[in-house]
Amino acid sequence: MLDPFQLPFVQRAVLELLPLAVIAGTLGCWIVLRGLAFPAHGAAAAAFPGLVLADGLGFAAPLGGFGAALLFALAVGRLAARRGERHDTLTALVLVAALALGIVLASDVFHSAASVESLLFGSLLAIGPADVRLAAAAALVALAASWLLGTRWLASGFDPAAARTLGVRSPWPDVVLLALVALAAVAVLSAVGALLATALLVVPAATTRLLSDRVAAWQLTTIALAAIEGVAGIWLAVELNAPPGATIAVIAGAVFALAALGRSAA
Amino acid sequence: MSAAALVRADGVAVAYPGGPPVLTGVTFELREGERVAVLGPNGGGKTTLFRAVLGELRPAAGALAASARRAAVPQTERSRLDFPVSASDVALMGTIPGRPWWRRPSRADRAAARAALARVGLADRAERTYGELSGGQRQRVLIARAIVQDAGVLLLDEPFSGLDTTSAAALERLLGELAGEGRGVLIATHDLDQARGWDRVLCLNGRQLAFGDPADVLTPEVLAATYGGAIVTLPGTDPDAPRRAILPPHHHDHHHDHHHDRRGSAR
Repeated sequence: MLDPFQLPFVQRAVLELLPLAVIAGTLGCWIVLRGLAFPAHGAAAAAFPGLVLADGLGFAAPLGGFGAALLFALAVGRLAARRGERHDTLTALVLVAALALGIVLASDVFHSAASVESLLFGSLLAIGPADVRLAAAAALVALAASWLLGTRWLASGFDPAAARTLGVRSPWPDVVLLALVALAAVAVLSAVGALLATALLVVPAATTRLLSDRVAAWQLTTIALAAIEGVAGIWLAVELNAPPGATIAVIAGAVFALAALGRSAA
Repeated sequence: MSAAALVRADGVAVAYPGGPPVLTGVTFELREGERVAVLGPNGGGKTTLFRAVLGELRPAAGALAASARRAAVPQTERSRLDFPVSASDVALMGTIPGRPWWRRPSRADRAAARAALARVGLADRAERTYGELSGGQRQRVLIARAIVQDAGVLLLDEPFSGLDTTSAAALERLLGELAGEGRGVLIATHDLDQARGWDRVLCLNGRQLAFGDPADVLTPEVLAATYGGAIVTLPGTDPDAPRRAILPPHHHDHHHDHHHDRRGSAR
């Protein structure tokens, strides 16, 4: 039954998933707490044309993806700061534009249609060492930033009006948070793709949200849940010959639905 | 003049960026150890004045000077009650202004947060989840946060609204103690009886209508001007001390009211 885990490419997939679970736990909780789920989804979508462009022009694809995601995240952050809560329409517009641009670039400009599917839905079973290194680096950065800036992220989400008078006037903590969302979006892309990024970045943290009443405990629970969902997804994908990214997303969605049902029944 | 002025406003007008002044002619002093009630209808400029004193809004005219650190104590419903934070986490937020943005809270910061919670009588609730505390306890946690900020001036936005009598009495006592420590306390309120017990009263309705001792300021004329006549005198047992109450602001629009009236007269 555990035979799939003997296979080297499955082992590499698990190795990729563990740092991604750390990202899902540390950063995912901040994404959920600060209402950044939709921007996170948008940043992943924006990374898609960035990757295609970088690939087509022959420079490091993750760099192109990160550049596009960062641009998107900071633009959304600026808009959110300026006009309050009414930035979701624009986020949706840019999200669609990014997806369309990516597909046009991939199929008509660079003729790399074969990779579009893996960019949109991930290719966890074809992970390379560079992907694992990127995931590990992003996980370390997410951990360090959360440890250092957690109090401020908490304060500016807790009551934004009072946070201003608390001297949380420096925009940097929130800029760092948005940049980390962009980095996380790129890091999960090779595993679950631009369209399923939130299966790791948002769904596990949203599932454990009401189980914990402190940030640190919530983050640890989420890391564990994301790791379990990820490994279970890889195993099921190999057993059923299903796409792993989508399998993980389905499992994460099902667990979330069960947790929500359990809560409403309790 | 015995005590030093913590906040001094002289002919201050405040406007939001690009708009006309929403509050004019504000001249008052908040001195060490004073509790000053800020009265006025909703939309009368209390919040605007607070934002100016906090330094968020720059006066469009006049001079506004403060010689002590100011801290806001907002209404607790303005904060996220579903946030995964303990009372000491919230108090700890008061240490943020004191350190660069990349620095974590130190051991001394945590000790200051604990001490401030003990100061407001919540030492045994420090690790409780903020959203699960009672309204009065939450209000005191926010006051602890202001104490951690080392604020010489506290601005409280209707801190007594929604509190039961026990919590209100505890809060009243705490505000008296904070003033006794030499802090200045500005309290936006609708409660005239309470304002009567404090040191000064400032009446606002788009402009400053009065400032001074409660006995001088809280006259029917000033109150009528402040609240636009929405004051009723309640029949009391003591004819020398009639109780005045402020009618709650109307949330119905006029159209709705007319409709209501028509139905009433048709019957």
